Order: sequence, then structure tokens, then C-alpha cells
Amino acid sequence: MNTSDFDREWRLGELFDARMLERIAPPLAELLGADLAILDRDGAPLWGRPAAEARREALVLEIEPAGYLASSTADPARLHSAGRMFTALLRAEARYRMASALHLEAVTQDFETLKLEHSRLLASEARYRKLSEELEARVEAQVADLETRQRQLYQAEKLASIGQLAAGTAHEINNPLGFVSSNLSSFKLYLDKFAALHGRLAEGEAAWQSLDLDFVLEDGAELLADCTAGLERIARIVADLKSFSNEGRPPTEAADLNSCLQHAVSVIGTPPPGIQLQTSLAPLPPLACNPGHLNQVFASLIRNALQAIQDAGRPGTVRIASEAGPAGIHIRITDDGVGMNPAQLARAFEPFYTTRSIGTGTGLGLSTARNIVLAHHGSIELASTPGAGTTATLFFPTAP
Amino acid sequence: MPDQDAGSLSFKLVYYGPAQSGKTTNLLRLHDILSPELKGEVMTMETKDDRTLFFDLLPLGFRAPSGLLIKLRLFTVPGQVAHDGTRKAVLSRADGIVFVADSDRTQETNNGEAFQSMADNCHRVGLDFEHIPLVVQFNKRDLPGAVPEPEIRERWEAAPWPLHFAVALTGDGVEATFESLLRALYRRHDAELGLARDHGVSEQAFVSGILGRP
Repeated sequence: MNTSDFDREWRLGELFDARMLERIAPPLAELLGADLAILDRDGAPLWGRPAAEARREALVLEIEPAGYLASSTADPARLHSAGRMFTALLRAEARYRMASALHLEAVTQDFETLKLEHSRLLASEARYRKLSEELEARVEAQVADLETRQRQLYQAEKLASIGQLAAGTAHEINNPLGFVSSNLSSFKLYLDKFAALHGRLAEGEAAWQSLDLDFVLEDGAELLADCTAGLERIARIVADLKSFSNEGRPPTEAADLNSCLQHAVSVIGTPPPGIQLQTSLAPLPPLACNPGHLNQVFASLIRNALQAIQDAGRPGTVRIASEAGPAGIHIRITDDGVGMNPAQLARAFEPFYTTRSIGTGTGLGLSTARNIVLAHHGSIELASTPGAGTTATLFFPTAP
Repeated sequence: MPDQDAGSLSFKLVYYGPAQSGKTTNLLRLHDILSPELKGEVMTMETKDDRTLFFDLLPLGFRAPSGLLIKLRLFTVPGQVAHDGTRKAVLSRADGIVFVADSDRTQETNNGEAFQSMADNCHRVGLDFEHIPLVVQFNKRDLPGAVPEPEIRERWEAAPWPLHFAVALTGDGVEATFESLLRALYRRHDAELGLARDHGVSEQAFVSGILGRP
């Protein structure tokens, strides 16, 4: 049994130390009017010197003597009473000591329990922290995975668009190529007729008439004009593609954007029947720019606007406005055509994105336009309402 | 393991149970009823409104034919839930346990929780709950709301512990419960302590010695 256990058997010597005995024993001896010694349970003296023949009075704490009062001269009855009194003191002290020792043990137990709880909590917290870290890592990995897949998807879409572009471009080029080649074959036949005329020069005017060279001359000129137009179409497609790849950019020069707009309008020519072109151009400061590229941007936007009205299948108006602000030049191209839904609007600037079927649009117009505008440190925005029309707003800063 | 020195052997027995199930009353009745060779006073520690705060202690003892002093120290634990630390400290080093349950039907949950806390606390203070001598007493049989005996017996059928029914206030069943624990205690320790072999104390002599019956 441990010496700190509350339920150990307490010895007299530990309940009453020498100092305490010094306070109790002398008055007790006085009351007895006799010699007195206090012995522990083994008979060893704790206070006083017992005579050899001394009478012993047991001090019973529980059921056994915890010690003895010893006296050789005391009256036995008085010694017995003194023993009862001393025992009462002893028991009171024992009760107090046991209660405080138990209290200490209980507090220690509670403290141990708390410490155990605490360590359990710490362990569980660590577990949760680890779990949360793992979860975070897994979320990050999945997000990264999703991003990779999205990039792959985007690449795949881009490749598909390039396929579409290639098909469209092939078609666009094939068409003029076809009639240019057919025209050239016809023209070769016309040259044969002139060769035949060389052999019949003697017949004079009759040979000219017989060979129908008036018609040949007229139709030959038309054939060549058609060829030129076809080759121009091919050249334009190639130019579009080149500007998309940012090749062949001529140097910057100061230009009036109003003349660029007018040039674009003239390049497009007469609008289709039922469609009006209105321009409202305010005087603009010159802009350091690449006019050729901006012509292309404006032409592309005006072409889109005309197309949007044609798609709506009703008459309409394309309004072109320019205006100089304190920070720069604002240009607005508005149509009242079919408009775009939000999904289309969101993808409008993506390269190769087109709502048109193969051969009618390359999907490069707006994408190229934006690249050019950005190269001029400008901005381009589209606002559109399905069924009501679209407005393209451009801004070019003039401030240094 | 009982506390042993040259001339004496000391067993610690603990009365455990829910609040106000009658643990202290058991001790007080035993003090009245028993008449062993050595019997101390019931040492009651501080109480508050008659509720045990620390413990009660009843020391008993008798001398074996070999001269060995066999001592039993009976403790009660405080039953109130708040005193679990004290309960554990009192339960520490116990050699045997009487679980005093309250027969009142409304106390069934408290009984169950107290029994579970006893098992848990035994493990915590390093007692072998599977093998420690243990008897179960259903006290307050005189209550009108007491769960009928057959129902309790049926419920405890599978349990290995002796079951007793008591009215501690009148002393009914108190001694039988205690005797039952004495026998379990003797059987558990006879061989290792050589009670019969070295000290001439048979099970019957052990029981008679403590109860103070010829």
C-alpha cells in the first residue's frame, strides 16, 4: 500500500508529530497527576520515557491499537479516561487526514481524466486536420484535373474549328479557282479564233463576222474581269488568314479613322436591297495606327451588321457613328438585325467560332478584329438583344 | 490484492451504487447486526444534507487460529454523479464490491449508468472487473414502485454475479448480501493466501468470524 493512499492504516506518529504531541501530552499528564509516555503501536516511545513497569492504555483507531498511553503511577480509571479522550482526538485527526488525502487522490484522478480527455481531443483534432488537409489536396488535384480537361477540350474544339476553317477556306478558294480555270479555258478557245482569223485575213470583214469576233472580244473581257474578281476573293481570304497570324503588319502612321470608315463602306459597296447605311461622323483627331488593319476591322464589323439584318429577313439600317472624347475616339456600329443570344455573345470573340455553315463564314472576323483593336491599345465590346440587334462599340485612346 | 503484513491481512470492500440507493444504510445496519471479535465504529466523513461526500468506513476483524488478524474495511462511495473522481479514488485497491441498486422503477436508468461507471472505473483504477468478487443487491424492496423480483431475476439471469434483495432500512437482506460477498472473497483468495492451509480458516470459519456467529 502506498504511503499517500487515503485508505492506508494511519500510525499515531504520522497523525500527531512531535510538535503536536508536545502540546497535548503535558496538559494530559497534568490532568492525570502522574507520569505519562506516548508509545506507537510497536511500543516505541513517541513522547516521554515510559517506566519499565508502566501500565498501557491502548489507543484504538479502527479495531487495533494505533499506539498506547503508558504510565506507572496513574490511577487505572483515570488512565482509561485519558485514553478515550486521546482516541477521540486521534480519530478526528485521522478523519481529517483521510478526507484530505482522498480529496487529493480524487483531484489527481480528475486531473488525470482531464489530461486523458485533452490528449484524446488533441489526437482527434490532429486526425481531423490531417483529413482536412487530405481533402484539400484531393480537391486541388481534382480542380487541376478539371482544368487540364477543360484545356484539352478547348484544344479539341479549336482543332475542330481549324478543321472547319480549313474546309471553309478550301471551299472559298475552290469556288473562284473553278470559274477562273473554266474562264481561262474559254479564253483559250477565243484565242484560237483569233489564230483562225490570221489564216483568213484575205476574207476581210466577212471572216471577222463569220468568227463572231465581236462577241468573243466582249465576252473575253468579261471572262478576264471575272477572273480578276475571283483572284481578288482568294487574295482577301489569304489576307484574312495572314492578319489572323499577325503577319505582314505595315508600319504605324497617323490616320483619320473617319476616312478608314468611309473606305470600309466603299469597299463593301452598295448594301443589299432593303438595307440602309447611315453614317454620322464627327471630326476626329488623327490616330497613330495601322489604317489597313483598321479598314479590315471596320469592314468586318459592317459586313457582320449587314449579314445580321439579312439573317433577320427584314429591312433594316446599319448606323455608323464616330465621336471624339477627352480620352480617345469612340466608334459605334449598330444594326437592328437578328442579334445574338447570351451563349453566342459569350463566344463571339473566340477564334473560329461561327454560327454560319461551312463556306459562308470563317469565324475569324471578330477574333481578328479584336486582335487588331487590342494591338492599338483599344477596346471592343458587343451588346446584343436577340431579335432586336447588335451594337459594337470601339474605343481607341488618343491620350499619350 | 489484500494488504498483508506479518501479523495481519486487510481486505478492502466497497459498497458502490447510484445516489441514495442505501449504501451508507447498509454499513450502519451491518454495524448493528454483526458481532465479530473486533468491530470499530462507523467512521462517517463529512456529509452534506445526509449525502456522503467522501466515504464511510466500517472496520471489522477477527483473529485466525494461526494468530493472523483478518481485517475487513468496508467503504461506501459517494453516489452523486458529480463525485466521480472521489468514487474512483475510493474504489482503488478494492478486493470486493457490493453494488447497491435502487429497486424503484424510476431508478432503472440510474442503476444502469452507475453499474457501467463502476465497470469503467474498475478498469481505470486497474481492477480486474471480470474476476473481482462482486455481488448485486436490489435495495428498497418495500417501495410500492419496486420492480418485481422475477422481472429483475430474469433480466440478470445471464450475469455471473449473485443477486440479493434487501430493505436496508430494516436490515432485511443486508447480512445475506454481505455473507455472499464474504464467500466470493474467500474463494477468490483462499489458495493464494493459504487461509485454510496455513491459518486454519475454512470458508465457514471465515464467514462466521466476520459475522460473529458461532
